[in-house]
Amino acid sequence: MVTGLSLTAEDRRHAFEVEALPHLDSIHRVALRLTRDATDAEDLTQDTMLKAFRSFHLYRPGSNIRAWLFTILRHTFFTQYRRRQRRPDVDDAEMVDDFSLYRAVQEVDPEGRFFEQIVDDTVLRAIDDLPDEFRETLVLSDVEGLRYDEIAEITAAPVGTVKSRLFRARKALQRRLYDYAVEMGYIKRKVE
Amino acid sequence: MTPAPQKEINCAEAIEHLYAYLDGELTTELELAIRRHLAACARCFPEFALERGFLRFVQARTRLRGVPDPLRRRVFEALFADERQQPG
Repeated sequence: MVTGLSLTAEDRRHAFEVEALPHLDSIHRVALRLTRDATDAEDLTQDTMLKAFRSFHLYRPGSNIRAWLFTILRHTFFTQYRRRQRRPDVDDAEMVDDFSLYRAVQEVDPEGRFFEQIVDDTVLRAIDDLPDEFRETLVLSDVEGLRYDEIAEITAAPVGTVKSRLFRARKALQRRLYDYAVEMGYIKRKVE
Repeated sequence: MTPAPQKEINCAEAIEHLYAYLDGELTTELELAIRRHLAACARCFPEFALERGFLRFVQARTRLRGVPDPLRRRVFEALFADERQQPG
């Protein structure tokens, strides 16, 4: 592990390449879902990596590099990108939390085989319809696989808030994908 | 010495902890209690299985594409350019 203050520029870049650059796919995936715009996501990815590189001396070797990178990404998004984006945030009031996927499908497709017919673009668009704070929580958890305490640190929210956002985000995503699957004829709607 | 009594939970408690269980965020004691409940409960087991399948489906559908090569090159070039501007 490369440590210490007397790093040459080359050492520093090498350490950054080894530690941070393998996470470029993750950074870009999260940037795409935060910005919901391919061009903004590319710019945000580059800005994040440049900022991380310039402040790499502040990163403690061996600590959680992904959480550190995501924190920079999120801060850059909300301070530099969010306000100038044309697409407004979605109102939280649209977030349902009383939807039960199991109750909806248990009689017709209890194993959820209809999922297999839903393509990736549809899932990504459904995630993009979630309000900012729910979308970022779901992406960090369900796409990137971060723990509740890591997401709490990155999003500066208590763990309880992370859990409740994740719950509501999953329910909202399930409801959207279920409605879509019914509309497409992949599954029959439950008769109430 | 007799072993400590095992924690018993009902369906409502199991469902309350469904996501924390699937996310691997429970204490060992509670995780084992839920695992025992699921092994014996024909109502909760399929619901947990469906929810686990949903989370796997979301992850599989959202991780298909990597960084496009032009962006990867752009990031590398930006780092090199930045390094040259900064005093070593």
